[in-house]
Amino acid sequence: MKSLPMRLAGLAATGFTWLLVLAVTFPLLWMLGTAFKRPTELFAKPPTFFPHAPTLQNFVDVLEQTKFTIYATNSLIVATVTTLFVLVVATLGAHAMVSFKLMGRHVVARALLLCYMLPTTAVLIPIYLMIAGLGLANSLSGLIVAYTSLTLPFALWLMRAFFAGIPPEIEAAALIDGASRLRAFVDVVLPQALPGIVTTGVFSFLICWNEYLYSLVMINDDRTRTLPTGIMGTLVNGYAIEWGMVMAAATMMSVPLLLVFLFLQRYVVQGFGAGAVKG
Amino acid sequence: MLPSTLRDQALGYALLAPSLLLLGGLLGWPLIQAVLLSFYDMHPLTRRVIYVGLENYTDIFEDDMFWRAFANNFVWLAGSLFLQIGGGVVVALLLNRTFIGRGIARSLILFPYLMPVLVAALVWRWMLDDIHGIVNYAWIGMGLKRIDWLSTMPNAMVTVIVVGSWRVFPFVVIAVLARLQSIPQQLYEAAEVDGASRWSQFWDVTMPQIANVLSVIVLLRAIWDFREFDLIFLMTGGGPVIGTTTLPLLVYKEAFELFKMGKALAIAVVMMLCMLVLIAAYLRSVRNAPASEEIR
Amino acid sequence: MTEIALKSVQKKFGADVYAVENLDLIIAKGEFLTLLGPSGCGKTTTLRMIAGLETLTSGEIHFNDKRIDQLAPGQRNVAMVFQNYALYPHLNVRGNLEYPLKKRGVPRDQRQTMVAATAKMLQIEELLDRRPRQLSGGQQQRVALGRAMIRDPAVFLFDEPLSNLDAQLRATMRAELVRLHLRLGKTMVYVTHDQLEAMTMSTRIAVMYKGRLQQIDTPAAIYSRPANRFVAGFVGTPTMNFVEGVFSDGASGLEFRSTLLPTIPVPGLSGAKAGMAADVGFRSEHVVLGQGAAQAEVSVIEALGHETLVLLTAGADEIAVRTRPDIALRVGEKVRFDAAIDQLHFFAKTDGNRIGG
Repeated sequence: MKSLPMRLAGLAATGFTWLLVLAVTFPLLWMLGTAFKRPTELFAKPPTFFPHAPTLQNFVDVLEQTKFTIYATNSLIVATVTTLFVLVVATLGAHAMVSFKLMGRHVVARALLLCYMLPTTAVLIPIYLMIAGLGLANSLSGLIVAYTSLTLPFALWLMRAFFAGIPPEIEAAALIDGASRLRAFVDVVLPQALPGIVTTGVFSFLICWNEYLYSLVMINDDRTRTLPTGIMGTLVNGYAIEWGMVMAAATMMSVPLLLVFLFLQRYVVQGFGAGAVKG
Repeated sequence: MLPSTLRDQALGYALLAPSLLLLGGLLGWPLIQAVLLSFYDMHPLTRRVIYVGLENYTDIFEDDMFWRAFANNFVWLAGSLFLQIGGGVVVALLLNRTFIGRGIARSLILFPYLMPVLVAALVWRWMLDDIHGIVNYAWIGMGLKRIDWLSTMPNAMVTVIVVGSWRVFPFVVIAVLARLQSIPQQLYEAAEVDGASRWSQFWDVTMPQIANVLSVIVLLRAIWDFREFDLIFLMTGGGPVIGTTTLPLLVYKEAFELFKMGKALAIAVVMMLCMLVLIAAYLRSVRNAPASEEIR
Repeated sequence: MTEIALKSVQKKFGADVYAVENLDLIIAKGEFLTLLGPSGCGKTTTLRMIAGLETLTSGEIHFNDKRIDQLAPGQRNVAMVFQNYALYPHLNVRGNLEYPLKKRGVPRDQRQTMVAATAKMLQIEELLDRRPRQLSGGQQQRVALGRAMIRDPAVFLFDEPLSNLDAQLRATMRAELVRLHLRLGKTMVYVTHDQLEAMTMSTRIAVMYKGRLQQIDTPAAIYSRPANRFVAGFVGTPTMNFVEGVFSDGASGLEFRSTLLPTIPVPGLSGAKAGMAADVGFRSEHVVLGQGAAQAEVSVIEALGHETLVLLTAGADEIAVRTRPDIALRVGEKVRFDAAIDQLHFFAKTDGNRIGG
């Protein structure tokens, strides 16, 4: 049995831990609270944590007075198309890198790591010039090209680690059982890689959904803006910021995503720090 | 690793080809272009280029703005690394204990990292609003003077560092926690049998076990935070004046506000060289820390 | 039935690392051949080359005069059981057993009867709907065997299939594999580093070391007439005793002299000549205690119940002796011992090869 002082110390540590956790999540709660408050309550002294008279007015205003739905649709299209495209390419590429003895595979791995870590700002300008040169500025396809350059190195790097964790004997067994290389890949490697593919998909979707810089630089047309630039451009510019509406928009942009993450938490945690895996 | 007959090799390259082509076209070639174009001047409208040699580089090296941004970049990097690593390790240690609601606490702690940058920046800007913000309300409530968190220096830099660290420290928590969980319980039992106090157990058992992983995390975070653009830009836009303008923000300003592509690229190239040093250090530390494979 | 012929097979990794060097090997029809050797000796690489999981750097492999080393693994009609069983984790046992049949286009109803028959034979019927991770090691092993058997392959390949099992289960599975071989009568190639498995199961054993074939023969012959010093030392527990010495001319012809043992007359030992350095080897069961001219000190006594192992030391030499369990000895005691003269093996110092017949 532990002594009384030890137990008190433990209790104190637990209390402190929970205090920290709540402090860390406070901004999220504050966002939700604000989003449901009426303008008068927003500036109440003392501030209220829970809205006294919860209202959906802020959400209605965002949806009616801004092009939020257009931005959200654009974000969804760009993020989904990029993610699916990158997943297909990276799944094939990672499999090739892991289970084929290709000449120069070590060089490829090194180059990949470099791509993964180099600053986006370095290639921002050439990619911008390239996309503009192709006449894709101001278009969602242009953004998809840019986001592919952003997510592919990451996806390949992460996926390569996942594929390397699959025992090679399983593929060998399928080959002996009569499958071709491609068939074995589809039949037995792919099902094993599925958790890794989901994780990679979640993170590349997140990258595209959040991306701000490329969208800022390349999109100059309200019909093709994505959520981050759209919200910034319409709600946050000017002196009198409608914080209720801003928080409502922020809620709509983040909460569905957070719920999905909560649901896929296992995969999300797997993806953390994937870059730290040995090259 | 399976057999490599010629047919298999062909198939392998075919599978790898899309990745290689895209990496080459969307990263390799732009990278080369970035370096090449940093020796040119580009007309903002016609995009005609004129070779100017090292002029862009001499320009930036003579420019106080560049050196301010350079210094800002390191202040930002050092500050946020210190905060997020320190905070991350402490929280990881706390979350490694058994306590009521540990599972929920571990999920909640992830939120800042998963929140879109824009949302994080906006929430904080609202909370830090100098007149109606909750932070100043609490601050004044404690009997302190109202503070302008984002539009004076050095407050803006400190605030950005705190918010930036808040956003990414869950990464450190998860990585350290994974390592902590892999420390065999016998080590602590052995230390206890040897009469070590809780404090010395921490320094003699826990720290050596997480030291390797920590060095990898520090470098990895350094590489990523060095190039941070979104959060700083969305919080302060680089201001007040150029108080929080780091190199990535300067690249953006030169290229897309002042339309000096050549100069912007020269800055980007210098930035890249700094990052290469960090990347080399990272590779070295990963090689020295086999256990870092565990932080996945 | 299938005969496997390996002709001058070589496998290089990198520029000059030979995993397998110039291997000629004929595996007879219906034979249970074991590739035995320490890790890194090239035995697994050899097996993988037969399976088609590794390409040959040079040489040929034939199944019944048909060259197969260019064929894909699936076209060779071989089955393989892996050390970690390599069951498909996302398929249940039934799915695992069915997979090779599906790849060969066996119709559905026929597949079901074959799965049922195989499951019955291996007594895994009640496991058919489980996933591999819900099975014990022994059960996984049976499923892996079933997946190999079900399509009636020409050749079975085993890559250390028992090494992940506990000792008791291993003994059971050894017996079961022997029965399986008898019943199916197929050519089987078995890779192991465990000499007990090799001795108990094989028709013949091929001992490999450093990528080269050292000896191929029946278990009994490998044990009683090892071809070189490596085989002599690798096969048998405890390890064969070795004593260094030199051949010289004596009164009654050639003799072998060593510091530890009395002079051994070896007239007519072919290949030996005066002045040649050699090791004499003899097994622990061929040493008799309490007689003879050699003397040593008892350093360790291990009573195993049915017999006792005694370790003697004399200078730098160590001699292991198997004796009856009732022998009365104390550690530190000096004892005389003698090695049975008709059970000696001589190995040349130069190349380690056996001297004489």
